[in-house]
Amino acid sequence: MRSLISLSASSALAVALSLAAIQPAEAADRNLRIAYDIGDLSGMDPHRASSHVDRAIAAMVFNGLVRLPAGNANVASAEPDLAKSWSVSEDGRVWTFQLRDDVKFQPWGDNPAQKLTAEDVVFSLGKAADVKRSAYSGEYAGFKFTAVDDTTVRIETPVPLSETLMLAKLMNYGGGFIISKAAYEAKGDGFAMAPVGTGPFMVDHLTPKSSVTFKANPNYFRGTPKLPGVELLFMPDVSARGIGIRTGELDIIEGSSEASWVSLMRRYPNVEVKVFGPGSASILYLNTKKPPLDDLRVRQAIAYALSREAVVAAIGPETAMPLYAPIPGEYLPGGLTTEEVKAAKLDYPHDIAKAKELLREAGYPDGISLEVIHTELAVMLRPMENVQAQLREAGIALNLRVVDHPTYHSMIRDDASQIVHYMAWRPNPDIFLSRFYHSAADITTGTKKDTNFSHYAAIDALVDEARSTIDAKKQAELWREASIKILQDLPVIPVFQGRTAMALNSTVQLGYDLNSNLAFFVPITERTDIVD
Amino acid sequence: MSDILLKRLLNLIPICILVYTMVFFLLRIAPGDPATAVLGDNATAEAVAALKAKMGLDRSLLEQYWDGLFDLLRGDFGRSLTSGLPVTDQILSALPYTLHLAFASLGLGLVLGIPMGTLSAIRRDGLFDHGSRVVSLAGLSVPSFVLGIVLMLAFSIHFPILPAVGGGKAGDPLSILRHLVLPATTLGLIMMAYVMRVTRNAMLNVLGEDYIRTARAKGLPEWKVILFHAFPNCLVPLISLAAINFITLVSSSVMIEIIFSRQGLGRLLVSAMRQRDYVSLQSVLVVYAMLIIAVNMTADILYSLANPRIRAK
Repeated sequence: MRSLISLSASSALAVALSLAAIQPAEAADRNLRIAYDIGDLSGMDPHRASSHVDRAIAAMVFNGLVRLPAGNANVASAEPDLAKSWSVSEDGRVWTFQLRDDVKFQPWGDNPAQKLTAEDVVFSLGKAADVKRSAYSGEYAGFKFTAVDDTTVRIETPVPLSETLMLAKLMNYGGGFIISKAAYEAKGDGFAMAPVGTGPFMVDHLTPKSSVTFKANPNYFRGTPKLPGVELLFMPDVSARGIGIRTGELDIIEGSSEASWVSLMRRYPNVEVKVFGPGSASILYLNTKKPPLDDLRVRQAIAYALSREAVVAAIGPETAMPLYAPIPGEYLPGGLTTEEVKAAKLDYPHDIAKAKELLREAGYPDGISLEVIHTELAVMLRPMENVQAQLREAGIALNLRVVDHPTYHSMIRDDASQIVHYMAWRPNPDIFLSRFYHSAADITTGTKKDTNFSHYAAIDALVDEARSTIDAKKQAELWREASIKILQDLPVIPVFQGRTAMALNSTVQLGYDLNSNLAFFVPITERTDIVD
Repeated sequence: MSDILLKRLLNLIPICILVYTMVFFLLRIAPGDPATAVLGDNATAEAVAALKAKMGLDRSLLEQYWDGLFDLLRGDFGRSLTSGLPVTDQILSALPYTLHLAFASLGLGLVLGIPMGTLSAIRRDGLFDHGSRVVSLAGLSVPSFVLGIVLMLAFSIHFPILPAVGGGKAGDPLSILRHLVLPATTLGLIMMAYVMRVTRNAMLNVLGEDYIRTARAKGLPEWKVILFHAFPNCLVPLISLAAINFITLVSSSVMIEIIFSRQGLGRLLVSAMRQRDYVSLQSVLVVYAMLIIAVNMTADILYSLANPRIRAK
């Protein structure tokens, strides 16, 4: 009994003390707190970045030879980053990059900040090209990297590449990040938990399944960051993130792509919502090897039965746009814009009667039924349920088997689904076309199995030719031709382009204009600041 | 008494082996694998094969099983397949937060529930009794995440006196305590509902016994009768409830951990499952089994303390 009393008394005291210790509004010189929808990281090795959070971290800790300026996702606007200039040989196969000589790596362990040299660049790119140490090795197949001297790097490619394609491989995205050779050799596998790069922020501490904190890199070559540090929190619950930004405990949060979330956040006085692209292309990949989808008429029927406007209306006009082309020309050179698709009469406008007629012609007067394995991720599942309802009106029944995300990724690669709904973005048309439409990427018969779920093989020649075309205009033409062929053969049906919404506290000043970003994150640069 | 404890201790190893074996095979039946989960969008066949080799998943199933088992028996919980960090470290960093939450919730539940249940039993069918039974029904019916969000809205947004995010700064007891108040209150109020009911029922049973009448007849004041004669006989069902609920709190706290963005064992498990992190899952579930055995042993000791007849055996 006595212990009960003392327990109650001490608890009451604790509560009283905590109430007394309420924090006042925090000063401006503090860490930026940003929360993302993620459960855990599997490491911070930039060459293994796959989720948007991996990319957000890589962009803070590392640089590439070139970069897309923060807030701009147009691959044509690549500008110098670690390299200050470059040139290419006559035959388009030998590239020479001149590095800046004022770049230092972040200090680590007992080591002071070491200068970046060509050796580090050669080492990093070599690692990016190694299938055992990188998820992007396919981009650098056949490449040779040499350090000519401390500030000059030579890269030899197996086939000539246009500047667009080449720079895309060397920018601050994917395999292009440059890491410290000394740190990687010293740490080995431990590098993924305590990476060392040249970027404005360095990793301070990773708490698994909880957060990762960064400290400003005082030696950053573009200037000391205004923020003393950044705390990146893993918060999978969207309501919790929303509450965090309302109470002021969080400065930036990942949102959701639903219009209702956007309008909810906009109601709060201290919160700004930014919706930016390009986001992800949501496309239905039809398994053309299994009946009934092996018949072009059936695929066309699905296209006619689908109203993209209805899907987009259900998600919200700001966060979704109808997608008519396999590669949206609005965001990538060599893609097709909606106008171009409609001009080519390949938009398959919504027409249920036509869909039913096509099915009848193909020998399915009573409609068809398709097995679809789908992820539980709401951002993909809800539009798909909308699609399912629409297609039902034309007699096309989709049996959705909803599984968790890792299972989904496994099963679709086992050819288990007749339609694969995939949402992804790739930084240039070559990667898009090669990974989704080239026969080498076929999920069952490909030589480099990837994401060609449709088993499509009709544009191999166009893609190969475009890849080795140095003239940017001609290259874009070839890509456009490939897109047209895809829309004629219809191995896929593009549905919508989904953009991200993120909410920022009005005291956050990004230091740049956020128009677009290659992945679902808000870049934090040396110019980002909090102004209370 | 001590031979019961000894038996429980000896059961530890076979139970752990059984749990490990079941988890090992059940996990591998589920579709999906850690390499694809980690690579996600980048899961080309080549990359998946390379990562699987790195994770040691290209070995035969039996080889993986025996290696894991021998490591476990030596106390080595292995390295997470997704992060490469030792699982022991992950568990040690998450466990304190979970235990804080479980103990605080249990404590709150007991501190509030026992007096409520006792009072209800004493003033049976009175206003307090009816009122507290309604409150208890609400506590049993309301899902923890609803209560958690409501409390968060009330005390983090409308009257901003408590934080809504995180488990507090490690090493700063005041910060940890502040971040514990709302989550512990959420689970504590629900616990209170169960405790109140069990106490009330136990107390009603006991108050009808002869020895209570005798104690009253001896002239003892009522509060002494309740406290020293009635209450000790309610302890056994309360200890059972506490033990079972402690285990439930540790596992079902994942909802609260997600809402309040706290670290903890529940979130560790769910996260590991999502990523198909076989090694983490196996080790964490074995630790879980060990925790259950430990809690049962503690309950046995408490039983013997509460009930002298058990002690004498």
